[in-house]
Amino acid sequence: MSAYRETVAAALDEGWRFAGLHASADGSCVRTLLARDGSVRLETVDVSEGSVPSLVDLAPAAGWDEREAHDLHGVGFAGHEPLRPLVDHDLDLAHWTVPVRGDDPYQVAVGPIHAGVIESGHFRFHVVGERILHVDARLFYKHRGLERAAEGATLEDGVAFASRACAACAVTNAVAYAHACEDALGLIPDPELARARTILLELERLWSHLNDIAAACAGVGLAAGNNGFAALTERGRRLNAALTGHRFLFGSVRVGGSALTLDEPAIRRARVEIDAIRVDSQRAWRELLFNASFQDRLPEIGIVTAADVERLGAVGPAARAAGVEEDVRAVSSRLAYDGFQPVVPRRAAGDVQARLEQRALELLQTYALLDDLLSRPVGPAAAEAGGAERPIGVGRVESPRGETSCIVERRGERVERLRLRTGSYANWPAVAYAAADNLLPDFPLINKSFELCYACVDR
Amino acid sequence: MLTLLRDLRRLRRDIALERPARGRSLAIRHVDAGSCNGCEHELTLVSSPYYDLQRFGLGVVASPRHADVLLVTGPVTTRMHAALLVAYNAMPEPRRVAALGDCALGCNVLGTAESVVGSVEAVLPVDVRIPGCPPTPDAIAQALLELIDSR
Repeated sequence: MSAYRETVAAALDEGWRFAGLHASADGSCVRTLLARDGSVRLETVDVSEGSVPSLVDLAPAAGWDEREAHDLHGVGFAGHEPLRPLVDHDLDLAHWTVPVRGDDPYQVAVGPIHAGVIESGHFRFHVVGERILHVDARLFYKHRGLERAAEGATLEDGVAFASRACAACAVTNAVAYAHACEDALGLIPDPELARARTILLELERLWSHLNDIAAACAGVGLAAGNNGFAALTERGRRLNAALTGHRFLFGSVRVGGSALTLDEPAIRRARVEIDAIRVDSQRAWRELLFNASFQDRLPEIGIVTAADVERLGAVGPAARAAGVEEDVRAVSSRLAYDGFQPVVPRRAAGDVQARLEQRALELLQTYALLDDLLSRPVGPAAAEAGGAERPIGVGRVESPRGETSCIVERRGERVERLRLRTGSYANWPAVAYAAADNLLPDFPLINKSFELCYACVDR
Repeated sequence: MLTLLRDLRRLRRDIALERPARGRSLAIRHVDAGSCNGCEHELTLVSSPYYDLQRFGLGVVASPRHADVLLVTGPVTTRMHAALLVAYNAMPEPRRVAALGDCALGCNVLGTAESVVGSVEAVLPVDVRIPGCPPTPDAIAQALLELIDSR
């Protein structure tokens, strides 16, 4: 066993968790990000004769990262067999699907263009009758090369590439990027900057979780629930526009300082509206609880257990709905989440019902957090010198879909390599896993119970 | 359920949307050719109670075979290029193409030349341009209504 594998294996034994892997810009080395509570460490291994040892047997969550590093940077992973293409779409079906053999299995191909207003991606279902045996998800149709495009940009300008990766996670990605840059520059946000960013992150979670509940209703064709929560989502976006001038909070995060100021009338109006959204969303949620035909669809499908979460590296609401009390907010020293405690549902079954309930529980936390954070005006703020300068910085932020990490390797004041690993990226393998053994008509609902982005996976 | 429906009815009354004077319709097929998901999220809310574009006969249809308008978001990525053309070629004539959002119009943070073909215009004849990053539901609604009037 190589020294690199031994180090990573020992770290995993000591409670460190795999949190990402990427190749350097020139493909000369591979770095593995490990996290434990609020700490992170990077383990680097040089590429030798075109490859490095694979980690997939130690940490199955590394599967997609290794496939991506191969396709985009040409790195081989010894021991990762078969190393199926992930970003590379040039190879035929046999190369990227898992062979499924037997008497009756056949394939159902869906996408990349879907029937509704949905992002582009392809799912290949291997089914017998209506029973799903296996799903191969082929994403990266929307790969724009944003990480590559960011290379050479100033650290300040690079935030545009991180935030434009995905509108639904724009604040999360931008804050993770800003944290990474500030980590590399030896800067620490002052308390006002930490509060400003925390407000933005929770505003993003507010509309996003409301949207997820609307989407689940749409997934079973419950128009009244879908419309009710879509209207609440709209109110969340209007609140964003009132506070920052943009419905998705674009342009409100910058490196080294704050782009958000809120005066007394603004925060007063915001708190009134947030409380009104809280009352109306709790009322609408209660109605969903008493809708038997809706509730009948939710339990015992799309199950991801706590053991699956650990193995597959699932994060965020998907992990917490399985009873895994992990939430980066509880260990975010650069943000204003003092005393934050993750919640899990009472019935943490890791199924569609639990994931939906998880959103409702987290919304209550978000309403309370925002009410507290907005109790006084937000003034100018900055990041202050407070640590050592480094060539590589790491930022970790809890997005509405789970832990997002951003790594910035810099050369002076410019981006040499940007890696963004979002909550959606971590969770997609769990979606495919959760779908197996379920009925094909339940897949839209299972998929919507995760409600992952394609854009910030594809980048 | 009844409470939910009653709340929705009240909401619709409070929003007081104007009643449509038009008696025509336009079937839309949306294709995400490489967006950041912002245009999709706004387009979804165009059907929500605050805008309710269906009342003007504007609906998103499941197949390009049923569509009058191809509504394309994002810069066109190399990986979506072929699928976009398949969707366009599946549409009956007459057909229109609408480019939704700054990326589709080729003026945003797009990506690298090897991963992105370019704007929608670089690939298909564009009839309607809807700028914005992303365009608000109001702006989307306005542009689509102008299109329905111009038919």
